[in-house]
Amino acid sequence: MQEKENKMKNITYVNLTLAFELSYILFQNKELNISYALTGSTKTITVPHVTRARRILHTAKPYLFIAPAVLLASVFCWIPAAKGFIESFITVNQAGSIVGFAGFSNYRILFSDKAFLNSLKVTAVFVLLFVPLNTFLTLFAASLTRRKSRLSFVPEYLFFSPVAVSLSAYSLLFREIFRGKASVINRILGISAPWLTDPAGAMITLAVLGVFLDFGIDYILLMCAFRSLDKDVLDAARVDGAGGRRLFFDIELPMVRETVLVTVFLALKDALLISAPIIILTEGGPFRSTETIMFYYYVEAFRSGNRAVQNALSSLVLTIAATAMTVFHLSRRRKKS
Amino acid sequence: MKNRKKRKRVIRRPVDTFKYIIRKVLLLLMAVIVTFPLFYMIVSSFFTPKEFSRLSIWPSSFVWANYAKALGHRHFGSYVLNSIGTSALAAVIRTAVIVSAAFAFTHLRFKGKTVILTALILTLFVPQEAILYQNYRTVASLGLIDTWAGIISTSLFSAAQMLLLMGSFHAIGKEPYDAARIDGATDIRYIWNILVPLSAPAVITVMIQTLITVFNSYLWPLLVTNRPASRTIQVGITMLGFAESGDIGAQMAALVIVTVPFLIVLAFTKKRIQTALIRR
Repeated sequence: MQEKENKMKNITYVNLTLAFELSYILFQNKELNISYALTGSTKTITVPHVTRARRILHTAKPYLFIAPAVLLASVFCWIPAAKGFIESFITVNQAGSIVGFAGFSNYRILFSDKAFLNSLKVTAVFVLLFVPLNTFLTLFAASLTRRKSRLSFVPEYLFFSPVAVSLSAYSLLFREIFRGKASVINRILGISAPWLTDPAGAMITLAVLGVFLDFGIDYILLMCAFRSLDKDVLDAARVDGAGGRRLFFDIELPMVRETVLVTVFLALKDALLISAPIIILTEGGPFRSTETIMFYYYVEAFRSGNRAVQNALSSLVLTIAATAMTVFHLSRRRKKS
Repeated sequence: MKNRKKRKRVIRRPVDTFKYIIRKVLLLLMAVIVTFPLFYMIVSSFFTPKEFSRLSIWPSSFVWANYAKALGHRHFGSYVLNSIGTSALAAVIRTAVIVSAAFAFTHLRFKGKTVILTALILTLFVPQEAILYQNYRTVASLGLIDTWAGIISTSLFSAAQMLLLMGSFHAIGKEPYDAARIDGATDIRYIWNILVPLSAPAVITVMIQTLITVFNSYLWPLLVTNRPASRTIQVGITMLGFAESGDIGAQMAALVIVTVPFLIVLAFTKKRIQTALIRR
């Protein structure tokens, strides 16, 4: 790194004076023309031609650099979002061709579907179960390891390790550990809960799985937030007699509020959009008890091929997500200023 | 050092010993809960079918039969190959796309810059899950079902990572760029020889993040692959068929094979991630 920097500096210094004029002429064609014109050189008849090509290239260059990004963002984000939004107001037949303008009838169909209304309820229950549980447990683990010590890297690693486990691995593991009355978890806890074979049990299992999926990243964010706190402030509080609990609740916790807010928001987003773990863990069951909005969307779009419902739901989720994120960002910005 | 020790002793009161023990017990309990699924995954990969039905938590013998079965699965090799291939390809392409865009936004002046940048950043407000079906249709109409291109297509751009790189490029400033231009270096050469080496930490972060995200993605690869041989490991691992035939041990062995490399990588990168996150 250092060597490269030095090398770069050297190149700059050596060549700066010598190359300045030449490169300036090479790069700034516009000025070149003007200087030729000023000096009255008449042998520049062919130059404007080259210059024009170069100038076009020069103007086009920034766009060439951003073209791949813009293309990808359009093809896989803006166009599908816009298409879904437009198509949600259109009636499409089985073959996929447009039949007519539908107004809000697609949304009406969606909201009259009992399965959709059920999925709204299921998602609400999941959010209420998962978000507080996740926030509490990650904050708890982070607060337990907020002081650095000689051996703290061991619990740190253990609490961080869930990030190394993929979604499908955790889902498959939970399917086995919580498989029903005769399950490992029951043996260890000494109870006989029905877990995945029962609607309420399946929901609890799903919430616990959700915590494991988010635990690692939330933990490391919170733990690092605690460690980033100003040592002088903490020492001052200690000198003033704030110890243990008071120090934590009155000083440290309010100081990491921002990070807690971020993890809560991430948890909220994950909870509202959860679908993949359900596909592996419960398939929406038993008795549609874990069929969340996005799982319903997945089933309608890819298994039933229900276009009307799928586009309406997609637009609905997009609108809600965009609104929620705008609100979140605005509230954060306001707090900062 | 001596001073600090002394101060600690002064501050710690006798009550604290009790609190200290409670804290350690809670810590241990929490650690046990968090690591239990991983622990169970590893021990049960040595179980016989009988031990699963007996709900054991420790294997009677450490035999590698389950691992042999998992590795001997007809498609296991292609699952792993597909996962490594797609994640590496996605990491390289995404980094190239983002570096070039971030360079243009930080170093060049052009019309419509703010508008385009805002439009790109606003993609953060569109959750991929909500446009799953439309994206699937695009990929299907491009004939990319069952291809690596189809699997990586939706993860080749990330506005969040572009912002990260822009921050890093901005910190370098424009002086090296002006100097390089005066020396006659083209933009591409400047990016490759100066900009990327100077912001190596950010660029590597983007690459690793992409690698892990694509490697671990489940829903999208599930949708765009139909043939068993073109599935990624995250999708394939749920379709090995071991659990269905009562061979859960082989299923667990497959999970261990997929997870342990990441646990090892994590042990080496944990400190780096931590220092990056702790602001002092």
